[in-house]
Amino acid sequence: MEIAPWEVFVRSTALHGFVYRYEPWLWPILQTLHYFGATILIGTIGLFDLRALGVAKGIVPATIHRLIPLGIAAYVCNGLLGIVFFFGHPDQYFYNDAFRLKLLLMAVAGINVAAFYGTGAFAEVKKLPAGADASLRIKIITGISLLVWVGVLCCGRMITFFRPPFFH
Amino acid sequence: MDSFFDPFFAFIENSELSEWIRGSESIFAFPTIITLHAIGMAFLAGGSAAIDLRILGLARGMSLAAMGRFLPVLWLGFAINAVSGTLLLIAYPTKAFTNPVFYLKLGLIALGVGLVYRIGTTVLRGPDVELKHKDKHARTLALASLAVWVALITTGRLLGYTHTWILLGVKANF
Repeated sequence: MEIAPWEVFVRSTALHGFVYRYEPWLWPILQTLHYFGATILIGTIGLFDLRALGVAKGIVPATIHRLIPLGIAAYVCNGLLGIVFFFGHPDQYFYNDAFRLKLLLMAVAGINVAAFYGTGAFAEVKKLPAGADASLRIKIITGISLLVWVGVLCCGRMITFFRPPFFH
Repeated sequence: MDSFFDPFFAFIENSELSEWIRGSESIFAFPTIITLHAIGMAFLAGGSAAIDLRILGLARGMSLAAMGRFLPVLWLGFAINAVSGTLLLIAYPTKAFTNPVFYLKLGLIALGVGLVYRIGTTVLRGPDVELKHKDKHARTLALASLAVWVALITTGRLLGYTHTWILLGVKANF
């Protein structure tokens, strides 16, 4: 199969060369860090979503929202690691339905984040006291968030089973 | 390599369940089981790490006593991983039992789960729960818990790279 121009470019970069050269020990280390990131993401954004959905209602939503910056940091780290993985084996990710669905779900998560912070939903959550139920609108947004992040995790884990059979 | 346990590994590997998990083309066999294992990891280790970080002083305004209500979510994550982990073990017993990293992982599971239980019963209960970030015993447990999750996830990931056998008599080709 002909190699697409974008892939020729990716394979010409120093980053690709670096991953290719040190792969035997670099890949397991970066994968482990990617798993840490996923764990932190669920442990922060996931717990915030669960509170909004009614688990651990004794928590004041504004206080558990303090965990979100840590979740964003984990997201950024994992995004950067993802770019390294992609540059290491571009064909294994690009021609991969699990990876494509993962990107799609991450786009949905992005729209959902915009809906949460851009529409006054966040301002509404911030005012909730301990024990209070969130509105249906909040529960829909946080429910989508939780589902989408678990979906991203599933797709990520499934990437290896959807790898294309060819190697360049 | 012949060992005393070979007949035991052979018995498991030749079982219908083991063959189905390994050999089935279905996405609901090995891929789904290992995916559930990742979800359980994220909720158990992620939820526990959040409690640990709160004990250590992050997001101090958040009620630690109320965080205890997340414990059932963590135990659900553990249950998912106990079942999915057992199924993965049934699929590849030789691969796991001939790898020293697997025994390290088992030890870390016992430690991590024990710490969740200890933190749940001692730190998240009592009259002064919200002041636990000043309690030395609580902080020690939280730090130990964080360290165990880091080590446990690392050993779990390394299982995919450190085994010498895939099945009885089938060497890994690294």
